[in-house]
Amino acid sequence: MKTIKKLSWKNILVILVGLFVLVYPFAGANSYMKHLFILFFVWAVVAASWNLLNGYAGINSLGNIGFMAIGGYASGILAKSLGISPWISIPIGGIITCLLVTLFLGFPALRLSGIYIALLSLIFADSLPSILTQTRDITGGAMGLHEIPGFIPNMEKIHAYYICFVFFLIAMYVIYRTIHSNTGLAFMALRDSENFATTLGVNRFRERLKVFAISSFLTGLAGGFYVHSLGDISPTTLGIEPFLLGIAMFELGGIGTFTGPILGAAVIVFGNEFLRLAGTLRLSLLGLLICLIILFFPGGIMQLVSQIETFISKQLKKRQSVGKANPT
Amino acid sequence: MDSFLNAIVSGLISGSLYAATALGLTIIYGVSRVFNFGHGIVAVMGAYLAWMILSGGGQLNMLLGILVSLVVLYVFGTLVYRFTISPLMKKPAWDISTVLFLLGGGILLENVLLQVFGPRVKSIPVLLEGNLRLGPVSIQFNDLFLIIIVLAGIVLLNVFFKYTRMGQAMQSTAQSIPGAKVVGVDIERIFGITFGLAFAVTGFSGVLLSTKYFLNPHIGWEWMVKGFVIVSFGGLGSTNGAIFAGLILGIVEAMVTLYIGAMWVWPIWFVIFMVVLLIRPQGILGGRA
Amino acid sequence: MLEINGVDGYYADLQVLRQVSLVVNSGEVVALFGPNGHGKSTLLKTICGLHRAAAGSIKFEGQEIASLPSHKIVEMGIAYIPEERHLFRDMTVMENLKMGAYNRRARPSTQQNLAFVLDIFPRLAERKDQLTSTLSGGESRMVAVARGLMSEPTLLLVDEPSIGLSPGMRHAVFDSIAKINREKKITILIVEQEIRNALKLANRIYMLKKGQILFERLAAEVNVDEIEKAYF
Repeated sequence: MKTIKKLSWKNILVILVGLFVLVYPFAGANSYMKHLFILFFVWAVVAASWNLLNGYAGINSLGNIGFMAIGGYASGILAKSLGISPWISIPIGGIITCLLVTLFLGFPALRLSGIYIALLSLIFADSLPSILTQTRDITGGAMGLHEIPGFIPNMEKIHAYYICFVFFLIAMYVIYRTIHSNTGLAFMALRDSENFATTLGVNRFRERLKVFAISSFLTGLAGGFYVHSLGDISPTTLGIEPFLLGIAMFELGGIGTFTGPILGAAVIVFGNEFLRLAGTLRLSLLGLLICLIILFFPGGIMQLVSQIETFISKQLKKRQSVGKANPT
Repeated sequence: MDSFLNAIVSGLISGSLYAATALGLTIIYGVSRVFNFGHGIVAVMGAYLAWMILSGGGQLNMLLGILVSLVVLYVFGTLVYRFTISPLMKKPAWDISTVLFLLGGGILLENVLLQVFGPRVKSIPVLLEGNLRLGPVSIQFNDLFLIIIVLAGIVLLNVFFKYTRMGQAMQSTAQSIPGAKVVGVDIERIFGITFGLAFAVTGFSGVLLSTKYFLNPHIGWEWMVKGFVIVSFGGLGSTNGAIFAGLILGIVEAMVTLYIGAMWVWPIWFVIFMVVLLIRPQGILGGRA
Repeated sequence: MLEINGVDGYYADLQVLRQVSLVVNSGEVVALFGPNGHGKSTLLKTICGLHRAAAGSIKFEGQEIASLPSHKIVEMGIAYIPEERHLFRDMTVMENLKMGAYNRRARPSTQQNLAFVLDIFPRLAERKDQLTSTLSGGESRMVAVARGLMSEPTLLLVDEPSIGLSPGMRHAVFDSIAKINREKKITILIVEQEIRNALKLANRIYMLKKGQILFERLAAEVNVDEIEKAYF
């Protein structure tokens, strides 16, 4: 008799949601909702890559927003000024991001410990706006880049929607495979106990560079997709608000889990609406949110979910054993 | 030559103020290994507290303002440690979680201050009027006074660390936590006091900075980043290192403004920071990595 | 003086101490033997409060100390000399010793204790203004012991004092421990791999293997071979 693999409720939920996302544009999604979904697809990749670096490899990088900006600006400039097709400029943007980050953050990170990496990455991201203003001619300075060409001529929101959706799926797949590969194990081993991992033969230097490379490449790509879907980018992408939003995303979902950042991105992107209503209080609420999550829910939503799961399964087991004890 | 000398003096003045800002940061890190990413906002809070008292005007109010600022921030620091940092430190990955928590908290407080005080710039009146002429160099009495206060503060701190029981306890905790435990130091209590002391010192530096520069809720970020650079330059955990680093960087900033242009000051700070972290993270002047 | 009953200890999910029970009487020298990694250091750390016992009771002079923080235990009169020493590297020998007298009970006797300690370890008197980071292995071991003595302990927990030392140094260390026990009547619980010397010093011995007490003997009634055999 063939054994059928039991689908957990989680798998079913994921498939349902996936189907929903697939057909939503045809089921009456308006332009604004499509826009939000595009943001979600892009930010989810940023958050997941950030989580790969911080959560799985244990490297306290604070500068991932900068990676997104580099990738976005690079691709945008190439496409707009040199007329290169986004399908080519986006990967180039990703590669440029990867090179810059690995050079300026990856290599130093080999010699530095925790807090220094956080500082260095923060300063790295923080210095980008001034570089942007100095290179006004190419990057548009404080005004930013506008009218960046889309993926196809006469692109509509719905095209961008599906293109970003596909990118999201591919990127998540890559991250998933990485986490579950030997490389992923190596990252986690280095995070949990560096000395022990090196005695097991894990090459600290190679793995650290690898994780920076993968994380920054994907984030750079995400920046590229962001830029060609929305058509604009400016130094505000590097401001406090996106920075906090990014942190909130992978905090909220659950650091070090696979689905965590995806959930976190979903909550933040769609929940940003409510924050928008708060007007000037928006940033305070974000700050407060981050503080509360770290204090009380360090595991994020995933922690909550697994707690609920354990609770429910305990209840079910109780029912089962009670049933068995009283065969009536 | 004249402008050169004036720039040196000006650099020393701003440098000593920056150094004062860095002290709180380096004290907390030295003793507890927590990096206060809310540093900027603590300085700003100290300044606003003093400003509130000051709105009455007059010399005595200034003293009162500073005193209130010191006490309130000391208490705030110990509370922050006890109720938030301490529980976080007992869990794994506390070095990331404390950073993120303090960042979030800093932004929260910054915007609360924005709501309460508004975005318009406030200023704290100078303590002394008039200036002193020494040949080609002109120094404001107020600035001279600030330098004296900073120097006095440094001397006080050194005395505190070297000769008081509490100071010795903090030093030993900074050098070896298990060693401190073994000689009977109450680590929790020392951490709490450290946070309180550091917050008070930082708030005080905020008051000083505000007498010379302007005050609004957002200025904390800039002070904090400069503090980061100074602390890294001088060596994390070294109070004397922070002082020298502050003075040196203050002079560098003044030189850059004089010879290259004020627009380049910020990028230069960043470059220095990156260079220090890349080449000698334990600081040019020692400390620990 | 010290009564340990049924203590369990864990490092994360790994159980390192299983139902450990032992007794140390006032004035005694008790030696604790056992293979490396089997819980000896953990037991000492648990007694002095650097590590939490998951279960069991630890009584010192009749008082339960298992859940007390380390600084209170030092205050009560237990001093721990860690194998890693944990000296204050940027302080001189003298400053380290003075820090040893940090707790309130010990402070009035600081000068007397300093004199006693420098008498037992004359080498330290020579080096008293040197930074501890410049000392040799044996000398820093001495500072660790001396610093512990400065806290006016009635019970001294010593963790492998002779490890990594030259034979001459080892003798010096054991002699000083014997002197401390004799002259100051300080009770000693010592963890050692140097079985021969420790046996000479001790009144009673315990054997700890895989986190459990294997046996207890009077030092006079057991010899080195028996103990060594028990290691395997």
